[in-house]
Amino acid sequence: MSITVELTYDLAKALGNRRLELEGTPTLRQVLALTRERFGAEGAAFDRLTRVTALVVNGVIASRTHGQDTPLQDGDRVSFLKAAAGG
Amino acid sequence: MIKGYAGRILDVDLSRRTFGFRPLDEATAKLYLGGKGYGIRLLYDLTPAGIDPLGPENPLIFATGPLNGSLAPQSNRFAVVCKSPLTGGIGSAACGGSFAFGLKKAGIDILIVRNQSPTPLRLELDGDKDSVTFLDATDLWGQGTRATQEALGKGRNHAVIGPAGENLVLYAGIVSDERIAGRTGVGAVMGSKRLKAISVTGTRKLELENQEKFNEYTKWLRKLFRSHPVLGEKLRRYGTMGIVNTTNARNILPTRNFKLGHHDDAMSVSGEYLEDHGLVGVKSSCIHCPVACGREVTVAGVGRVKGPEYETAALLGPNLEITDLRWVNEWNFLADDLGMDSISLGVTLGFAMELQERGLLQSGLTFGDATGISAMIQDIAHRRGLGNDLADGVKRMSERHGGADFAMHVKGLELSAYDPRGSYAQGVEYATTNRGGCHVQGASMYFESTGPLTIDPQSLRLKAEIPVVQQNLACAINSMVLCIFTTYGMIPRQVHELDPKGRLHRTITFLFERSGPMYRLLTKLKLAPVTWFEKWLTYITGQTFTSGHLQEIGERIFNLERMYNLREGIGGAEDTLPHRMLHESTFPHLDSGHPLDQLLPRYYEIRGWDPQGVPLQRTLDRLQVRT
Repeated sequence: MSITVELTYDLAKALGNRRLELEGTPTLRQVLALTRERFGAEGAAFDRLTRVTALVVNGVIASRTHGQDTPLQDGDRVSFLKAAAGG
Repeated sequence: MIKGYAGRILDVDLSRRTFGFRPLDEATAKLYLGGKGYGIRLLYDLTPAGIDPLGPENPLIFATGPLNGSLAPQSNRFAVVCKSPLTGGIGSAACGGSFAFGLKKAGIDILIVRNQSPTPLRLELDGDKDSVTFLDATDLWGQGTRATQEALGKGRNHAVIGPAGENLVLYAGIVSDERIAGRTGVGAVMGSKRLKAISVTGTRKLELENQEKFNEYTKWLRKLFRSHPVLGEKLRRYGTMGIVNTTNARNILPTRNFKLGHHDDAMSVSGEYLEDHGLVGVKSSCIHCPVACGREVTVAGVGRVKGPEYETAALLGPNLEITDLRWVNEWNFLADDLGMDSISLGVTLGFAMELQERGLLQSGLTFGDATGISAMIQDIAHRRGLGNDLADGVKRMSERHGGADFAMHVKGLELSAYDPRGSYAQGVEYATTNRGGCHVQGASMYFESTGPLTIDPQSLRLKAEIPVVQQNLACAINSMVLCIFTTYGMIPRQVHELDPKGRLHRTITFLFERSGPMYRLLTKLKLAPVTWFEKWLTYITGQTFTSGHLQEIGERIFNLERMYNLREGIGGAEDTLPHRMLHESTFPHLDSGHPLDQLLPRYYEIRGWDPQGVPLQRTLDRLQVRT
């Protein structure tokens, strides 16, 4: 099972990569843990940069469904959502 | 005269080259505030049904409101009202820059421009001398908006058109500084009058009812806005392009002519990316604005210019499968300089690309390929070759070439850059907004999809209520005349700072989502000022305003717009969304698109309209809408 994780600009800049491809991650909780792992010793930076973000699966906020226990399917796209306004 | 108004309407006849001042009507100002509201009242009263939008009988109305000239933040905007050549219905657009400030300093609340000049003309208005000078503009005809304003010089405030307006491109706009009244083709109406530019000067002082309290409150509010997470931080740091990654994550970023809601490389046209790659400065073209959302970029061969807004970046970017900012910056500059609406332009180019892909039109334009787009934008502005076709917008193009199912417009106005399939309230707003598919007539998406609240944008809860309240508020804001961005301050910092994954945030969201009856009740109460909108109006005019008053004024304006459209034969049948939005899904958990048919009856009921979308007589009576 393959999951694409799309990072925010700040996360991507910190990691040097815009997205991650994760294998065998059946829940959002595991996606979060594995993404944090990529930050190695900079885990605190990951926590800070994701503190006020919602988790989104294929455009839908995960807390709307099962929060971090949201089951994932092959090909799902997980994003970190930051509130913003445009016009 | 009520304080906050200059008290005068200037009426100019381009055919006879005459002008006259007359007093602003206080009763109308109380009912409609000014700006868009007053302008629509005038348009309704001055014209019969069925006029040619590009004929001499269509007046072009520039309207300010009581906030303009007051130095309130985000208040240097004017409204333009006329019959739209693009939609055939109500035409209106708002613009920042400095022209509104100039009009007010000249002691003019509203400028009505009637009839047509046989030759290119420009106007100079002098509020101190009460004069209007009619000047030949042959030497400026054909010039871009930038060169035109440079030629007109500093010391006056200008509103001008570019070649797009001159050549009657149906989505041409009117430019002040580097801002544009872009939507519904108001620039084509100015072009039809052969009016290249209006310059205004004056030194009149605006009198406010309670200047001291106004100053004190505004000073405090400036600080509040500066520290607000959206107004003071994100918009200030990244401009409106700072929303690209949010709409992309939400799957509502128009991609490939709205076929998709997500682009893998959208980050390359985001405000964050721009900050690190190519931002050369921060620029606010709207005077006295503490937000300063304008970005400054460099375009090869031109130099430093105002950068793209979110709408432009999305619709000339991922919507065309282009994510190279250099191209987006160039096309944005061309649209501004040629004087056309970059929203309609982006959607029209995307439509032409899909027509090409499906073999319905040999446009030579293909998704993901920047080749030929700069030349096509020039051709559109000058109505040359295929550009003459694209200059009419997607509705007319679909009537000629087919492709109505993927022609992305409502009532003829091309859609803004929020895909309603992932933002149901925004979809209802698009469908019902009188000027057509636009986002700044309510900005419902902020409350359901992009802001800090995490209500479900794909449930039916509140999705009829939010557009009604927001459309009413936007009508009032566009009549003061203020920037719609002021509404973003309504959700306080404390909510922004909550972790959306946490229990408290989820509880607030849960309660908001179920607040329909309370939401409607609160907007009807006329107890006390609630936000800056009402406080400013109260300090400026001396009359007491509450959120209930503003809702009522906004509702009145919205219903008058509706009656104008009905008079032009545009009714409930046009309250719809493009076929693609209704029937194609971009979300794996859904089989179809936006559930408009389930929301529209409820929306009409809240509005006090019949099932065909016609305001009931008792609704018009309650709102004192005279028809």
